[in-house]
Amino acid sequence: MTASPLPVVELVAAVRRADSALGLLQATQDLAAAPHPDGAACLVEVLGFNNPGAAVAAVDGLVAIGEPAVETILSNIDGHNYGARAWAVRALAGIGDVRGLEVLEDALGQDIGPSVRRAAARGLGQLRLSALAGPQRQAVVSRCLAALLAGCGDGEWVVRYAVVVGLEALAQQLSPDAAGIALAPVREALEWLCRDPAEEAPVVQLRAALALQRLEAVDG
Amino acid sequence: MAAGASDAPVMAGDPISEEEALRRLRLTGDPSAQYYAAWWLGRNRSTHPDAVPLLQEALRKRRPRDPGAGVEENAVARNAARALGKLAPAAEAAIPDLLATLEDEDHGLREAAARALGDLRARAAVAPLVARLAPGPAVAGALQPGTPRLQEPCEALLEALGQIGVAEPAVLAVVTPFVEHERPLIRSAACRALLQLTAAPDWGQRLVALLQHPQLQVRHAALMDLGAAGWRPALEPIAATLAENSLKLIALRGLAEQPSASHSEAATVAVLDAMDALL
Repeated sequence: MTASPLPVVELVAAVRRADSALGLLQATQDLAAAPHPDGAACLVEVLGFNNPGAAVAAVDGLVAIGEPAVETILSNIDGHNYGARAWAVRALAGIGDVRGLEVLEDALGQDIGPSVRRAAARGLGQLRLSALAGPQRQAVVSRCLAALLAGCGDGEWVVRYAVVVGLEALAQQLSPDAAGIALAPVREALEWLCRDPAEEAPVVQLRAALALQRLEAVDG
Repeated sequence: MAAGASDAPVMAGDPISEEEALRRLRLTGDPSAQYYAAWWLGRNRSTHPDAVPLLQEALRKRRPRDPGAGVEENAVARNAARALGKLAPAAEAAIPDLLATLEDEDHGLREAAARALGDLRARAAVAPLVARLAPGPAVAGALQPGTPRLQEPCEALLEALGQIGVAEPAVLAVVTPFVEHERPLIRSAACRALLQLTAAPDWGQRLVALLQHPQLQVRHAALMDLGAAGWRPALEPIAATLAENSLKLIALRGLAEQPSASHSEAATVAVLDAMDALL
């Protein structure tokens, strides 16, 4: 009997019933392990509970649900809780659906929470471009690139670090025909981040050097 | 530790120029203007030649504590001390003023001075820091009646000794008993200092054990302390800690930037990969 999985409604009810941090974590993990679109709304709620362990599990669950969770995430972005927004943006980044593009652009460019901006920067590098037709792909790449290049000047080291990660991931995704157009500004930006004498965080320079090295290896 | 404890004044959003910050710091009749100006100069790493002398001046304006007086000279002095720490090493000229401040009767001022002396790697501070801690955990680390504070700002004193890095037997002898202090935050600070001073893995293991502490605040402290010591074996325990990714990223940054030449490039890449996964 214990072997048969509980229906999603039961798992959702268990999350709502949880009355301790540990109980919430376990219930969220159970719900996330049964990735079902009907669980998405509840997982999105957990992002706002200020329980990092449960939020990690909820993000994993949302990413596992994938595209069917995107609308739920987008329509529940919490304008008042940047912790929750950061987790929602992480989920969007993990799913990589282009419907998240505008939210990611706005988040990197304007959000007051560095944790939101850093999650957005990473997400802008990992939107799944392969499903898109050529012209649309080109337009999405241009927008991601523009947002990431603007993010190079962010005041927080962790956001600049995430911009490096985003630029590397975006460059790795480019098909060889598009690569010629987009790679030059990516490389320039990484070289700038690597050498900017005003950079106060050596780790940003370390990461930019690693990104350049990896792009070199791919590019030959 | 000092994790996330923001010293940003309420009107931190007020955008001002360096010239304006210096002008406000000269307004000796307006402590709240000075308070913000002192913070601003540190936050923005001012390199203006007037910054350090003006901050020293603000430090000298401290006076016996007058509780309930609102923004007072000591609040300005506290921000001035913190700013001098942020301007290290350019603020070396202020070391004598900070040493004098370390003897102040105001607990908060001693704490700010200790941190700034640590930031300045002031070897001249080792003896006075040791002297403050020498009475031991049961005296220097005893609760001040009627307050949540200890007799001495032990955490700041311990961390400064670790940061300055003079690993003499007399320093180790004074720091070591604090690893048994009743407060986990003090234990964490003592382990951090000893890890920095001796590189002995025992102290790192104790910090890793604190990453499992039921209180989030203690896990935060242990994360910051492992990051400050840059202890590479903590990589996986840090990544697995139940805490906000922002703090784990700060801790891992400390590991990645650890200057020791003994680390292979692959080990650094492993730290960076762990950071990427937390974004």
